[in-house]
Amino acid sequence: MFNPLDHKGLPLDQQIRNWRELDVEPIDPEAVDPYTRCRIITMNGIEVEAILFQHQFARNCSDSDVRRQLAYTRYVENQQQRVVNWLLPGVASVLETTLGYEQVAVDLTAWVARHEPDPYLKQAYEFGVLEDFDHLYRYANLYEMVERRKAEKIVGGVTEVMPGRPTVAEHRHPFDNVRDPYAKDAVDPRSKLHALTILSAEQQVAIFYMNVGPQYMEPIARQLYQEISLIEQEHVTHYESLVDPGETWWERLVTHEYNECWLYYSFLQQESDPRIKAVWELHLQMELAHLQQACDLLRRHDGREPEQVVGDTGLPEPLTFEPNKEYLRHLLATQVDLTTLGAGYVREAHERFEWMQQQLHDGQKPPSEEVIDLHRAQYGDEYRLETEGAHPVESLRAQEGARRA
Amino acid sequence: MPDPRTADTPFPTGSDVDVVDLLLTQHARIEEQFLLVAGAPAGEAKRDAFDDLVRLLSVHETAEEELIHPLSRGLVPGGDPLVDDRLAEERQANEILARLVTDGVDAEGFDAALVLLREAVLAHARHEERYEFTQLRAKVPASQLRALAVAVRAAEALAPTRPHPGTESATANLLVGPVLAVADRARDMIREAVRNPG
Repeated sequence: MFNPLDHKGLPLDQQIRNWRELDVEPIDPEAVDPYTRCRIITMNGIEVEAILFQHQFARNCSDSDVRRQLAYTRYVENQQQRVVNWLLPGVASVLETTLGYEQVAVDLTAWVARHEPDPYLKQAYEFGVLEDFDHLYRYANLYEMVERRKAEKIVGGVTEVMPGRPTVAEHRHPFDNVRDPYAKDAVDPRSKLHALTILSAEQQVAIFYMNVGPQYMEPIARQLYQEISLIEQEHVTHYESLVDPGETWWERLVTHEYNECWLYYSFLQQESDPRIKAVWELHLQMELAHLQQACDLLRRHDGREPEQVVGDTGLPEPLTFEPNKEYLRHLLATQVDLTTLGAGYVREAHERFEWMQQQLHDGQKPPSEEVIDLHRAQYGDEYRLETEGAHPVESLRAQEGARRA
Repeated sequence: MPDPRTADTPFPTGSDVDVVDLLLTQHARIEEQFLLVAGAPAGEAKRDAFDDLVRLLSVHETAEEELIHPLSRGLVPGGDPLVDDRLAEERQANEILARLVTDGVDAEGFDAALVLLREAVLAHARHEERYEFTQLRAKVPASQLRALAVAVRAAEALAPTRPHPGTESATANLLVGPVLAVADRARDMIREAVRNPG
């Protein structure tokens, strides 16, 4: 398997781009492979995390030489983020991008859950994915009401749209969102990459929603973004708490750069659009050089070899965007009624959960329920895209006729 | 790639539906119809799909020229240049469309020109949704927007069948030809519906 540690990549002094190179042509929203959009959204989240992490590192680092090196790489990572995110077309609406974000959260998390070797970590992904799956359904109903369009236009039939764990039940006491971390020296290196990837994706979703939500005039749209952005914040807490807080800044830097190599390499393997593929190829070459720099810093400041952090066997199996319909239906059938208690999972609505629900809902229906009620009032039914038959959970089946079944 | 079999986004019904709801639905149908034309096999199927697209676009633009742009003009200082921009976009799209209609679906370069038309039309639609419809919903009384929905439904029934560059403003309506009679009737129906609602 490809081992990024064996490659030098594109020299750092050749990585600054000019305006012409930054001015990328966006994808055509009417003709794009939905998973190309997903790969763009994923890599945007990864680059945003790279930038935020390196800023935090710089604020906690007293060595001015290192701070200058970090500033340079961070500038390059910023240009990478601008290129990646600017592949999204201006003609798409905020809600269309939102549907793309939720499709990413569903199919990316499902893939990671399927490939996670550690059972406790796997459970964390299986738990979380059912919540983003529900958000996709809520936003799809909002989309049809506000923009009069069907979410199928965005998700393209590779991801189903139907209720997951109902958003109303996702508001937990903050104490119960804190998981136990993996042990950095014992865990499979794949698990480090999985945790970093999903926390980056969820962090970007949370930041996106908390900023774009108020741009809407429709009260239900403003309210739904407010509610779901709070769940996404819970997810950031949930996933970031899986990461061992004992990792040094130097090894975290190595893991970040290695993860970027893994994902660009993965997407390079499967990208259907040759123009976008060229971006993944170039960025992989850039990240290889960032990784070399991070490995040098690790050796110098931590006295350790990168293989001790990310292993010596090369990249794991490429992460792949692909349908996860059967897997999600299985999770729905078996885990939809789970909640968390402390660092574990339970089925009963325990006291702390009930307390939080009472504080927040206070006898009212939350926006995630209102949006479905409003859709029913307006259209006579709700928007769903159930390509594989009726919902696996009987109580979550559509009540009305089969216009969209 | 999304692959709709029909441009079947349902028109909303009910007393709360306003003119913006109907125009958004038309935008959705136009998006779907573009995909249908692009995906249709050459020959009669493509011709039929394209004819449907022409009909949808003509009905839609007539309604906007008659009802929406004049309303927007009076709303805000600076509303005029905004509407001028929209009319310029419509004119540009109409020119491409007229060429496609003249040359026919079998002409060389049809598919490439269709992509150009789609880009122009969909960007125009998004501009309206972002800068024009939002202002209408914020500043025009809801009852007035609901009343205007009646006129748009009237235009749906009496559609012009071919586009006519140069008629995107009421004052430029000088090139009256035989085909334009249909557009004129649609226009008359809209105006009648506005004068005598219900």
